[in-house]
Amino acid sequence: MRGVMVGLLVASILTLGGCNSGAPPPSPATSASPESAPATERVVGPLTEAEAKALATMNDRLKEYLEMHNRIEQSVPKLQKEATPEQIDQHQRALQKLVQKARATAKPGDIFTLEARPVIKRLLATVFEGPDGKQLRASIRDEEDPATTAKLKPTVNSRYPDTVPLSTVPPQVLQTLPKLTEELEYRFIGDSLILLDVEAHVIADFIDDVIPQ
Amino acid sequence: MRKRHSLFVLSLFLVFVGIAGPRPAIRPGATPLAALQVVAERLVPLPNQAGSFKFAVLGDFGTGSKEQYELAGRMATLLKEFKYEIVALVGDNLYGSQRPQDFKKKFEIPYKPLLDAGVKFYASLGNHDAREQRLYKQFNMDGKLYYSFTPKSNVRFFALDSGYPVPEQIKWLEKELAASSDDWKIVFFHHPLYSSGDKHGSDIHLREVLEPLFLKHNVSVVLNGHDHFYERIKPQKGIAYFVTGSGGKLRSGNIDRKSGLTAKGFDTDLAFLAAEIIDDDMYFNAVSRLGKIVDSGMLTRRKVMP
Repeated sequence: MRGVMVGLLVASILTLGGCNSGAPPPSPATSASPESAPATERVVGPLTEAEAKALATMNDRLKEYLEMHNRIEQSVPKLQKEATPEQIDQHQRALQKLVQKARATAKPGDIFTLEARPVIKRLLATVFEGPDGKQLRASIRDEEDPATTAKLKPTVNSRYPDTVPLSTVPPQVLQTLPKLTEELEYRFIGDSLILLDVEAHVIADFIDDVIPQ
Repeated sequence: MRKRHSLFVLSLFLVFVGIAGPRPAIRPGATPLAALQVVAERLVPLPNQAGSFKFAVLGDFGTGSKEQYELAGRMATLLKEFKYEIVALVGDNLYGSQRPQDFKKKFEIPYKPLLDAGVKFYASLGNHDAREQRLYKQFNMDGKLYYSFTPKSNVRFFALDSGYPVPEQIKWLEKELAASSDDWKIVFFHHPLYSSGDKHGSDIHLREVLEPLFLKHNVSVVLNGHDHFYERIKPQKGIAYFVTGSGGKLRSGNIDRKSGLTAKGFDTDLAFLAAEIIDDDMYFNAVSRLGKIVDSGMLTRRKVMP
C-alpha cells in the first residue's frame, strides 16, 4: 500500500515536473487521502475529473443502499453475538427477504452506475494487467469450480449462491476500488465483480467481464 | 525436575500420537537473534507442566474432508495427554458453502471431542470466510472482526482480519498493543507476512503496515495460514512466525526451499501446531496427520526495553 502511495507521489512529481506553474492540481484519488495518511489508506489514481465524478455517482448509490439496509436491519430482531449457525442463517434469510422486497425492481447499474462501470473496469484492468496480474487472477480463482461458475450468471437482488465458495479479493484489488463499509464487500464470481450484502447474503450489484482473459 | 518430567511426558506423548521408531534429527533452525532464541536442533518435547499455558494452532481446515477429520482425530488424541485450553484458528475456517449443516460437517463434528472437553476455539477470518462467522458462538469472536483476549495471565492474543486491514483496525491494534503489558503478545491472522509459499508467499504490503507495530510493541509470536503447509520461519527481526495453513487443505511441495525464510517446512501432509508457554519460554511441536512430530523447538519471548 505504501508502495502504491509512493508510486503515486513519484508519478505526480514527474507529471508536475513537465508542467508550468499554471498547471492544474493533481487529479484526486478514489478516496481522499493526504500524503501523511497511513499506508492502509486505500488510494489509487490519479483519476481524471470525469472519472472522479463518475465514481461519486456510485458513492451516492452506496449511501442510499446503506440507508435502506440499516432501516431494514433495525426492523428485525438483533442477532446475539454468540449465535448458533441456525440463528445466523435465520437472521440472514430474514434480512434477505426484506432486502429483496425493498429492491424488487433493482437492476444492474443501480449501484455500479453506468458512469462508474468503465472507471472500475479500467482501474481493475490496471491491476490485472500489471506485473502481479497473473498471480492475482490465479489467487481469485483459487477455490473456484469452473464447471459450477460457468453455469452461473449473477443476478442483482438474488441470494449469493450457496454452492459457490467466497472468492479471494486480493489487497491490490481492494486498494483500487472505492472503500466500502462493513455491510458490503467485493467478491468475484467467474469474471464478474460482485457487490455483496454481507448480512443479507444478497448480490446488490455486479459488473461482468472485469477480469481480462 | 523439568527434564525428568519431560522424558515422562514425551514417552506418553509418543504412545498417544503413535510414533514408532526413532525420528530424524530436527534440522538446525535460524541463527538465534539476541531478542529471540529458538532451540530446534533436536526434538524438544512439550514439558506438559501443571499450570502452564497450553494451546494449539490450526488453519485452512474447514473442508469436511476425510483428511481434515483424521487431523482432528490427532488433535483429540493429543488432548488426552496434553490439555491445551484453546485453539487459535488462523482463517479459512469454512470452505465452500457456509450453511448451518456446513458448520456441523466442517467444524462441529470433527472437533467434537475438543468442544466437549471444553477447549475454546478463537477464530480469525480468512479470505474464504463469510463475515457472519464472527457471530458464531463457538468461534468466540464476540461479534468482532478483530479482537484480543487474555486466556492466561501475562499471555495476550490479538486476532486480526487481514483480508480487510482498514485504517480503523490498524489504529485499534496499535492502541491494544500499547495498552498491553503482558509478557507474551501473540498475534494471529490469515495472510502471512513471511511465507515461502510458491502459491501465495509473503504479503509484503501487509508486512509494511503490521511489522513496525509488532516490533515497537514487543510482539513475540505471529501465527498465520493461507499457504497450505506448515512452515516455521527463521526469526525475522526477533519475531517468530509460523505458517499453519494445512489443517484441511494441502498444497504438496509448495514450499520454495530457495526463499531463505524457512527454518523448518513440512508440505507433504496436513499438520497443526501444539505449544506450551512456561515463564519466558514457548515450547512447540508441529504434528502431522499421521502423528509424526514434524517440527519441534523452544523459543524465548522478546524483551524490548521500554
